[in-house]
Amino acid sequence: MSVPRQILRNQKSEAQDQKLPPGWEKNPSSWSERLPIVGLALFGFAIATYLALYQWGLFATVWEPFFGDGTLTILNSRISHILPIPDAALGAFGYILDAAMGVVGGRARWRTMPWIVIVFGLAVGPFGIVSVMLVIFQPVLFDAWCTLCLASAFISVLMIGPAADEILARLQYLQREHHQGRSLWRAFWGLQQ
Amino acid sequence: MMWAQVINAFLGTWLMASPAFFNYQGTGRTNDLIIGPVAATFAIIAVWEVTRVVGKVNVMLGVWLVVAPWVLGYGNVTPVINDSIVGVTLIAMAMTPVETRGKFGGGWSSLWRTVEH
Repeated sequence: MSVPRQILRNQKSEAQDQKLPPGWEKNPSSWSERLPIVGLALFGFAIATYLALYQWGLFATVWEPFFGDGTLTILNSRISHILPIPDAALGAFGYILDAAMGVVGGRARWRTMPWIVIVFGLAVGPFGIVSVMLVIFQPVLFDAWCTLCLASAFISVLMIGPAADEILARLQYLQREHHQGRSLWRAFWGLQQ
Repeated sequence: MMWAQVINAFLGTWLMASPAFFNYQGTGRTNDLIIGPVAATFAIIAVWEVTRVVGKVNVMLGVWLVVAPWVLGYGNVTPVINDSIVGVTLIAMAMTPVETRGKFGGGWSSLWRTVEH
């Protein structure tokens, strides 16, 4: 109980003095910066969920406008089933996590919610890397392409750049707190120093 | 520059399509299908100003594309020409200046500075 209350106090006490991170021209935590990422994540979630439903056997076939049996080859490949759950289901989970973490927190969250920004960055970054690896595996290992898998990978890469500015502002904030001799631990969780 | 990164994103995508378009197999195909998505990824990330510097990775990938035919031995002239042209263009686009200083609180390099800023 004490932690959320402290976060609230912290937000209120500092909300007025710092609208922008020092040396920034725009606020990386503003809704206009974050909502496009949330939109992309939801779009990716829809695609990945559709593919996962096929992999779970709820659909008999998958929409594939360009590459013939390519999508079916990829979605039934051994790489797609290397984990206990199909890879598209993992992708859907990643996207909904990205969307949720894009929504949480206010316009000052680069300063008040450091941890969520860091988790957001960690989710977006490795997620993009895995997507690109899967894009490479499609033609190299299975000699097939999958249109919706490519679209999903494109979306996950597209989210990295827009998510990065908030992470940079966050890291700079933690660095300033550290230089001023404050506790990085408390700054990381958005607690009052 | 943003458009330079957009061009590199298309060049990476073109590498992915090249083996099917020109119908070549072997190491040239594999190399293009690996380097293509990676180059496109770094270029797409670099479209945004705050992560523009990531596009510099394509200088290295471009150099690799130029030397790869001789290192790997493609045994087919089409991918050699294709990779050389794409590689040189990739390098030229990736070397366009990055000017983000002063806009993002000193940018990523500020994180390695030990003094107060």
